[in-house]
This record gives sequence, C-alpha cells and structure tokens, in this order.
Amino acid sequence: MTNQPRIAYVLDPRFPGGTSAAVAEEVAAVRPLVRPEVHAVTSRMFSGQSLSPALAGALDAAGIEAVWDAPVIAADTVILHNPAFLKFDKTLGRRIVARELIVVTHENFQRPGGAEGFDVAGCLDRIDRGTVALRKTLAPVSAHNRVTVSDWVARNGVRPGWSLAADDWFNICDFPLTPPTDAPRDRRGRHSRPGFEKFPPRAVLDLCFPRHAEANVILGAEVLMAEEAPVPHWQLHPFRGLDLERYFGMIDFMVYFTAPTWQESFGRVLAEAIAAGKVVISDAATAAGFAGAVVPTRPEEVDALIRGFIADPGRYASQVRRAQATLSRFSAEAFQARFAAATGLSREAAA
Amino acid sequence: MILIEAGERTDRHFDAKLLLATQLAARGHPVILDDRTLPDRLERYQKYEAARFLADVDRVEVTRVIIIGAEAIGQDTLTALRHRQFGPGVAVHVVGRFADRQAAITAQSRAAYALGREPALVDLAALQGPTLVANAISPLAAAPVPGPEPERTPQLFVVLRQESLEDPMVLPLLSAMDQVPGFRLHVILPGKGKEQVKATRHAGLSIFGLSELSPATFAARADIAAFFGDGVPGERMAAFALDLMRSGRVAIDCTAGAGFVAAGAPAVRGPEDLGGLANYVQHNVLVNRRQIGLQAQRSPWLNARSVEPLEAALALVPGSVSEPKTDEAAPRRIVLLPTNGVGLGHARRCALVAAELGTKVAEPVFAAFPSCIPMLRGEGFDCLPLVQKSPDHPEDHANDLLNYLRLRRALRPGDRLVFDGGYVFDSVLRVINEREIDATWIRRGLWQAGQLQGGALDRERAFARVIVPGEAFAELNSDRGGAKVRRVGPIVQRRAVPDASERRAGRGALATRLGTPFSELVVTMLGGGVAADRTAQLQAVAAISEARTGRLNLVVVWPGAVVPPGLAGWTHTRVVQTRDALSLCLLADLVISAAGYNSFHEILYHGVPAIFVPQMAVYMDDQERRARAASDRGLAETVLAHELLLLDREIAAFLDLGKGDRVRAALAATELPAPGNRAAAALILGEEVP
Repeated sequence: MTNQPRIAYVLDPRFPGGTSAAVAEEVAAVRPLVRPEVHAVTSRMFSGQSLSPALAGALDAAGIEAVWDAPVIAADTVILHNPAFLKFDKTLGRRIVARELIVVTHENFQRPGGAEGFDVAGCLDRIDRGTVALRKTLAPVSAHNRVTVSDWVARNGVRPGWSLAADDWFNICDFPLTPPTDAPRDRRGRHSRPGFEKFPPRAVLDLCFPRHAEANVILGAEVLMAEEAPVPHWQLHPFRGLDLERYFGMIDFMVYFTAPTWQESFGRVLAEAIAAGKVVISDAATAAGFAGAVVPTRPEEVDALIRGFIADPGRYASQVRRAQATLSRFSAEAFQARFAAATGLSREAAA
Repeated sequence: MILIEAGERTDRHFDAKLLLATQLAARGHPVILDDRTLPDRLERYQKYEAARFLADVDRVEVTRVIIIGAEAIGQDTLTALRHRQFGPGVAVHVVGRFADRQAAITAQSRAAYALGREPALVDLAALQGPTLVANAISPLAAAPVPGPEPERTPQLFVVLRQESLEDPMVLPLLSAMDQVPGFRLHVILPGKGKEQVKATRHAGLSIFGLSELSPATFAARADIAAFFGDGVPGERMAAFALDLMRSGRVAIDCTAGAGFVAAGAPAVRGPEDLGGLANYVQHNVLVNRRQIGLQAQRSPWLNARSVEPLEAALALVPGSVSEPKTDEAAPRRIVLLPTNGVGLGHARRCALVAAELGTKVAEPVFAAFPSCIPMLRGEGFDCLPLVQKSPDHPEDHANDLLNYLRLRRALRPGDRLVFDGGYVFDSVLRVINEREIDATWIRRGLWQAGQLQGGALDRERAFARVIVPGEAFAELNSDRGGAKVRRVGPIVQRRAVPDASERRAGRGALATRLGTPFSELVVTMLGGGVAADRTAQLQAVAAISEARTGRLNLVVVWPGAVVPPGLAGWTHTRVVQTRDALSLCLLADLVISAAGYNSFHEILYHGVPAIFVPQMAVYMDDQERRARAASDRGLAETVLAHELLLLDREIAAFLDLGKGDRVRAALAATELPAPGNRAAAALILGEEVP
C-alpha cells in the first residue's frame, strides 16, 4: 500500500446538486482501492453555503477528513471535479503539483444552440496557471457532455498539455433496483432541482402533464408554484417536499423535458427513476446518454407513448428491466475499473 | 410596444426603468412598463412619470423586451418572463454592465432558461465604457433636448446635497447669486430640501425637487448646471448632465471628487465652494458657453455614451412617432382649464376670456371638471372632461393622474394652456413643463392673509405669464406682483341693462312662467355647497318675504345644486336652477348675494342694488373685504352670515325705505374700471397690452 499512487480530489464540497452526490458515490467506490486525499476549496460560487450532506456522509463513512484550502496540493493524480466552481474567482488560489491532472467536466461547456455554459476559458485558464502537471485531461461525464466539451475545444482551443479523455468519467448510479409494476397506470411525474433551466415552456408541460392523466406529480416545482394561475390537475411539491420513495410510489412514468436552452450533462434524476422501476421518457438528446434506458420522444408524442405502455404491461416491464440492466454500466465496479485505469492503480495491481 | 423590464423589482430598478422609458419615448419609441412591476412604495413624482407607460402586458402586443440591470436578474423577473411566453418574433435584450465574461454569461443564461430561447446581450461596459454612477441600473445615454429660445437669459441650475443646507452660509449665498445679472438661478435639492428652503426667508429662490422634473425636462430648461457634493449625485442627475452636455450646454463639475471630470465627461471643472460659483460662471462660463458646449458635443467620451449607439445595440429605429410633435403649419391649440372651486366662477371667467379670443387662432377648447361642462357646452365650447377628486379614490391625487394623462394626450408642444384657479395641479405643471406649453395662469386676486405663498406661488415659474383680473376697487388689487404678472381690468360678463319698459315686460314674463304674480322681486343667490351651509340665511329671507304681500323671493342656484328642502314650504319663495342668474338679477328690486368675484362684479357693473352676504372659508378669496369695499362707498350693503336681524332690517331698508333706489343711483353715477376680458385674451395670445 505504501507504494500506491497518491491521489487527491479537489472540489468545492458545497455543490448542492449532482456534482456532490456523484463525488460522494465516487469516494465510497474508490475507498477499497485507495485512500485519497480530499481537498476542499472555498470558492466564491458557493459563498455562504454549507457542505453537501451527501458528501459529508461519504467522507465520514470513508474515514477521510477533508483538507480545507491547502495552499499546495501534491499527488500523482489530482482529480478536480467541476471546473465551473471557479467561475466567480480570479485565480485557482493554490498550487497543484501532479503527474496528471484530471478535470471532470460535470457541467456542459455549451448549451443547446452553442451558447457557452459558463466562462470555460476563464476557469481552465485559472486551473492551468495554478497547476504544474505532466498531463492535463478533460474528462467528460457523458456522451452529451463530451460533445459540448469537444465542440468547445474545437471552437476555442486549449493550451498545450491538455487533452480529452477517451472514456467518460461517468456518475456512479448504484441505486437499489425496484422491480416494475405489472399494472402501469397513467400516473406521471418529474423531479428535479427547482431552477428555471429544468423546466420546459408551459406548452410542453401541458402536453406532458395533461388534465386526463390520473396523476401529475411535479417535485421541485417552485418555478411553477410562483406562476400566477395554478393548474388544478398538477400536484406541485417544492424541492425535497416529498421523500423520493413516496414520490416514486405516486408515479409510473417519469416524463422529463427541460428548457430548450439547457440540457442535463449526465442526468442522475433519470437514473434514479429507472432504478425505482419507472419508465423514463425524455427528449432524444438527453435519452442518448442512457443507451436505450430512457425512451426518447417529443412532447406531443408523450401521450401516445404512455397509452402504448399502459395497454401492454409486458412491454412496460421489459423496458424497465432493460433500462435497469443498462444502469450496470454506471455501477461502482465499472467505475473502479475506470478509475484504476486512469490513476495507474491497475498497473500497480498487475505488478 | 417595447416592454422595459429590470433585473430586480426594487424602487431603484423601477426608477431606472422610468428613466429609460422616458428617454426612449422622447425618441419616438413606443414604450410600456408592466403595471404589475409597480413597487409598493412609489414616490408621487414617479406615479406621474410612470402613468403614461403603465400597461397590462397581457393586453398589448409586445414586440421587444429590454431587460436593464441584468447584472442580477431576480426570481420575480424570471418568473414574469417565463409566464409571458414571448413568441419568437419578440426580440429580447439583456442589458447590463457586466464585470466580466462570467457575469454576462450568467445573465444571458438565466434569461435564456426563463424565456426558452436565447436573448441578445448588450454589455454597456463594452458599449459605453465606465459609467458616471457606480452601480447605475439605467443605461444613462445622452440624448439631445430641444434648443432654447436664442434670446433667453441663461438659466443656471445648481444641484446641491440636502446636507448642504446645514451650512448657514448656503442660503444667503444663493440669495446673493439670485441677484447677479447675466443668468437666472434655479436650485435643485433632493429629499425635503425644497420644503426646508421654502420655510425660510429665502423662499423666493427658485427651488426644484430633484425628482420634480425628468432629467430631459431639466436639461431643456437649463443652459448651465453646476453639480456640488462628493461625487456624481445619482442616476437622475447624471442623466440630466449627459443630456445637457449632449445638447451643447455647460455642465460644471463642482463635486469634491471631480466625479464628472475624473470619469472623462466633458464637464468643466468649477469651484468646490459655492461662494466661488457666481464669479466662475460670469467670467469663465458665460463668455465661453457656446464654445464649451461645442467642445462637449464633440467629445468621444460623450459620443460613446450617447443614445444612438444604445439604440443601435437594441436594434431600435428612432423616429417611429409615438409622441406628438410640433407642426409649425398647424394652428396652436388653446386649451382652457378652469378649476371648479366652490362654484363655477373659474369656468365662467374662462368662458368670458375664451369668447374674446376671436378667430385668429384655432377654436379654443376646454378641459373641465364635470360640474362645469354643461355650462361650457351651453356656451358653445368643446370640452375634454377631467376627473373630479373623490373620497372613493385610493389616493387624493388619483384623479389628477388621470387628468395628467388626458392633458398630455390633448396638448402638443407649442400649444397654449390657460389655467384659472388658485392651486396649480401637478398634472398642469407637468404638462406645461414636458410639452413646452405656452401657459397662462389667470389668478384672481384678493387672497386672504397668508393664503397665497410658498408652494402655490412657486408653481408660477412654469407659466409664461400670470394674468390677475382686477377688482372693481383699487385697494383690493393686492397681488404680490412679479415680472410675469399682468393686470387687466375686471373680467366680467356684460349685458345691456334693460330700461323700465323692458324690465316690466321681463318681470311679467317671469310671473307668467312661474305662475306667480308679484310686485317686488328679490333674487337670493348665496352660494353654498362645500364652503358653507346657507340654510339659515335662505330660510330667513324666505320668512321675511312671506310676510310681504306681492313679494317673490327667487332662490337662484346652479343646475344640480343641493337645495334645502325646507324652502319648498314657503309660498312667496321659489327655487330656480339656472346658469343665467344675471338675467334674473337685471329684473330684481334687490339681490341678496354672496360676494364671489363673478357675482359681485356682475351686480356692480349692471347697477343692481344688492346686499352682499360674504362666504368665508380658509381656501376662498376675501369676500368680506370685497363686499365692504362696495358698501363703504354706498354701492351695496354688507351683512355677515350670522347677522340675520340686520339682514331683516336691510331688506326693509332697501325695499321700503328707498335704500335700493339710492344704491341704484349711486351705482349709475360711479365709474368702474374698464373690463379686462379682451386684454386678457390678447395677453394669452402673446400680444402686448398697454
């Protein structure tokens, strides 16, 4: 163990969403392989916010104490999660010295249509100026995320020494699997954090959650709750207003469309719904990252699609089972292999 | 329509929207503000400024959305954007001063998420460079204002902080400057500064509240402006300075930090000490002001901050007319606006002047309150109805806001407005200033002690002239005077006085019409309404008349007036509703009348014997003084409202003891001043009257 490569994580652990949850899963997954250092960075992006509960729990469970704002971070491999946390800072604020720096690009570099998702050049520049490393690698988290990164790089270029990882640094989706119902009903729902980017225009929501559906449960619906005219056939709940088990008990279909100007980079909420035994329906671009586990469609076709599944419970069940099987691609074991290859742990094991 | 939104829903953001809306509207762009974004606490001036822009966005076609202050776009604004679901044909511009690229991306992204499509980004930091005011929300773009009349005395505006009034030398210095020839001094003060000054012996200074006029209106009125304080005094004054410099006039930077000059603005550096300003203006600015103005207009700094680049960035094409413009060929419209006061005296007086305006100009029209409209229409005038104040309105000036909108629509730059009343409404004042109206104030004199001062007279400066209709007796002409005041003879209705046979015929016709033969006719018109309850006096005259065989007591009131029900029981008393009281007075043996300006002069000028019972209220003219001026000369009698026994005796004296004949003879022998109706009309038309 003493000759194990030193591995250090760098992140702002106050990310409230998918990034912290993903890193929490990741720390738990790699702990059997290695005892990484975790360097917590206080960025301006999350000024005033507290440590993500998921990440705090994972660190506790792993027996790892985060080091806050170390001036120098030295390791064989440094994994920096989500460079966007630097978007409001002027510098990285520390020195990173490593053989390889892996920058996991949780946020899409570009939004649909090509608008930049955040000041990518600024963030990468801050990292580049603060890092001495033989290699610097951008590691996308999904196929779609990879497209936005490679498009951005093609358009803007990167400094010498940077490259794009061949494999995705995917989110671990090791959720307990619930079998599908054998009698699906027209009970629809969606859940997300309550940002405007998470919600499509009202006309799309009307198509996805119509009056004739038996139930339309929307969790994280602050945006809709603030609108002037309430929709009586929608059950609106604030973010964390229902525990997920109860929420999944209220629906059979998750119908998930976002603002046309935004797209999930990975989509943990979709994976959660698949694991919970639901048929998950989304737009084609979002569904593409899940290799058939998410049913692609257009909003105006949602109704017919759901009718078809209800009429054929067997098809419903087989879709869920096939989707759950696909989730194994995002298992902790799969990630361990990906991680070991990227960090040199697999070479050491072979030696 | 162009909807102007702001990132946040604060008072400051709303004021910034107002600034931009006013500026774009003046450039001919059709602009609206969402009425749902009104802040809870809105200053009175903001209500007037905002009124013409407020709209229910669900009921208008929005073609473009401009979101200013987009450095921080809050949930309320995003929710509204999402709710509106603007179609793809509606261009949306996100406007802000973005500190860096991330700030711009954040603003654009947030709007894009709510809109469901990408907005256009306008970075004022890149377009204009650093702004004059830190954290300014409004784009602060310089726009030219109309040029002043070439021969006007240079108007110097001095912008001070309210705290400057704590220095005991400031007001004496300003008063001294006010006497310096070569310019006319005006002072702009924020907060309660104006009220503070008006409560001192320096009340004669011309003081404006900082928000009393829009920046563009200030700029149109100013030739030179000197700004004092620590730095640039806020967005409104920055906008004023920008418009001023853009219009080739002079901004003097007297701020302690040289806020304008340090920012690169083409202002001239003046003394930080107010005491040095008069000399500086006289010896450095006045002699060079055109050159200074030209230099400012050529400044690249100013060009970058001009409205044209902003319009280009917002894809706005200037000149799509939404504001009325001066049409040199069209005749100047004359709008007369009488207040309705206690009676209809103001409207009656205006109608008499309007009748003298002749056909040299477009037909005069009235903007009038409902109580005046039947009378004015009866006289043949068109009327724009105004809204009467009502206790049912949510605010005491709610009606005036509506009247402001109506007047603003009715009047075009260059039109003439004639206002007759004691207190100049905000609506009138704003329209005069904003529309550059040639305005005349007909201000009847004979104010009670302490009545006409401070705020009331302060509003005189908006008018080109003040016409004071004279009183019949010289000692009553006590208006404080001033450069704008023009005195004319009494404005009075004139009729041919009937001879004896015409009177007999008229009285016969009246008796036939009323079905009541009479040998003595008393006309009683005591006024009333909100000023006083005249029931006791009316009952007294009715009771006195009842005891006399052959006497008819005609109680004359305006149509629609409230009449005490107890009068119906008297057999010698009849109530007549008419707008033509004078015709009845000409037939009367005695008139018992209040001493309002119109009634008083009509009675005197037509030689009718009268007992005046003055109406007195704090907001009315001094009727007792007016009545006594006549009775002291033996031309009438004065009986106060509570002197009912005296009233009984005086009626007997007039009708039984020959006092009526003596008064009639005295009136016939008295030479009263020539009426001023025609002279007033000539002054309104800008003609010189000897």
